[in-house]
Amino acid sequence: MLELFSQLFPGIGTFFAVEPAIALARIGLIVLGFTLAYLGFKRTLEPLIMVPMGIAMIAVNAGMLFLSTGQVGNMFVDPLVSDPAQLVDVMQVNFLQPIYNLTFSNGLIACLVFMGIGARSEISYLLAKPWSSMFLAICAELGTFVTLVVGVEVFGLGPKAAAAIATIGGADGPMVLFSSLMLAPELFVPISIIAYLYLSLTYGGYPFLIKLFIPKKYRGIDMVVEVPEVSRKSKFIFIVAACLVLCLLLPVAAPLIFSFFVGMAVKEADINRYTELLEEGLSYFATFFLGVVLGVLCEASTILNPTVLVILVLGILALAVSAVGGLLGGLVMYWFHKKRGQDFNPVIGIAGVSCVPTTAKLAQHAAMEENPFAMILPVAMGANISGVITSAIAAGIFVSTIHLLG
Amino acid sequence: MSVTVYALLAYGAMAVIAFAVVGVIVLIDRLFSGKGKDGQ
Repeated sequence: MLELFSQLFPGIGTFFAVEPAIALARIGLIVLGFTLAYLGFKRTLEPLIMVPMGIAMIAVNAGMLFLSTGQVGNMFVDPLVSDPAQLVDVMQVNFLQPIYNLTFSNGLIACLVFMGIGARSEISYLLAKPWSSMFLAICAELGTFVTLVVGVEVFGLGPKAAAAIATIGGADGPMVLFSSLMLAPELFVPISIIAYLYLSLTYGGYPFLIKLFIPKKYRGIDMVVEVPEVSRKSKFIFIVAACLVLCLLLPVAAPLIFSFFVGMAVKEADINRYTELLEEGLSYFATFFLGVVLGVLCEASTILNPTVLVILVLGILALAVSAVGGLLGGLVMYWFHKKRGQDFNPVIGIAGVSCVPTTAKLAQHAAMEENPFAMILPVAMGANISGVITSAIAAGIFVSTIHLLG
Repeated sequence: MSVTVYALLAYGAMAVIAFAVVGVIVLIDRLFSGKGKDGQ
């Protein structure tokens, strides 16, 4: 009777065909998927990722069936297939397998997102306070390096695995995808899932850290900032020069560096059709499928991997320490500017964490909560763009030198 | 090399490269804007 029921309703029947821990994890992930999608709908979490990711989590954990081999599986994606012949077979069955293998596991989707970020970035903001912006971004990278040490010394991870997890501290989704592929491909799936989950949680968590570290009287400081009018020619030449310098110094991160700067370049070159393609087309295509693929990768067997717990702890440590580093850098900049008779809102430090443009918006919201007339967004965006650059540099340094640790 | 020493060196290298990039930005800004200031 149970067998007939399982054949008629395999989605339900497979709950009884797997270990109880897996069945419970599936139920937990369905509930979590609903929660994430709903919080995305309510705008508590980042909706662009959370809505498709949450629904995909529900679908993959509900839609399990008995495969022709007799095993329990799904018809979405199998991230563990590496044998070429098997891969060709799987691509004809799992509808997301081509997206996963041809855009996700080679980092193309990260590059497409980065092209969109580049096309949306305005380099003039960085020119408003270039040294301060970069100082904040360097401070806000603290979590990456602290987490590397903690991962190796406290959790006993290998240097490559610890470095891959540590890049979550840069709070730059595409960079985390890219680094984990280069450094620890075996942890790519859990690191990507946890990184994006946490990046969405920054939306809700960072405001508390701002209130904890920045005294109320400083949070509403208004700034008179003159964003310099820079000619398109200057901006274009800077973009090309910066791309050249960074690719020369960090060839391993060259695909991502190129993607970011080519997005900026087409915007400044006034090639509107390319700008629209990157900003409105490819970027949203990539973000949507990023959410969907991350969701279907949230399968019970992946999540029950014991390393996931370590990544959960290290991931939140990395993001928290980076935020604290950025905010402390903001306080340093406040005192530095104060001595020169200038205003500087230390909340901008949070924008050094390169979650573009979320952390810059958070800084602006935090300032406006205390002073509705405070306008710090231009400087915060400068720190945000600097954060993208420091994240790329940190990832490049890890990928090219981590072998020195043996 | 211990991981702590590596992390410190890598952090320092990142800071040097990042400030070098800012140097390029400021230099180009000065060369092409003719204003002779870095916006600070």
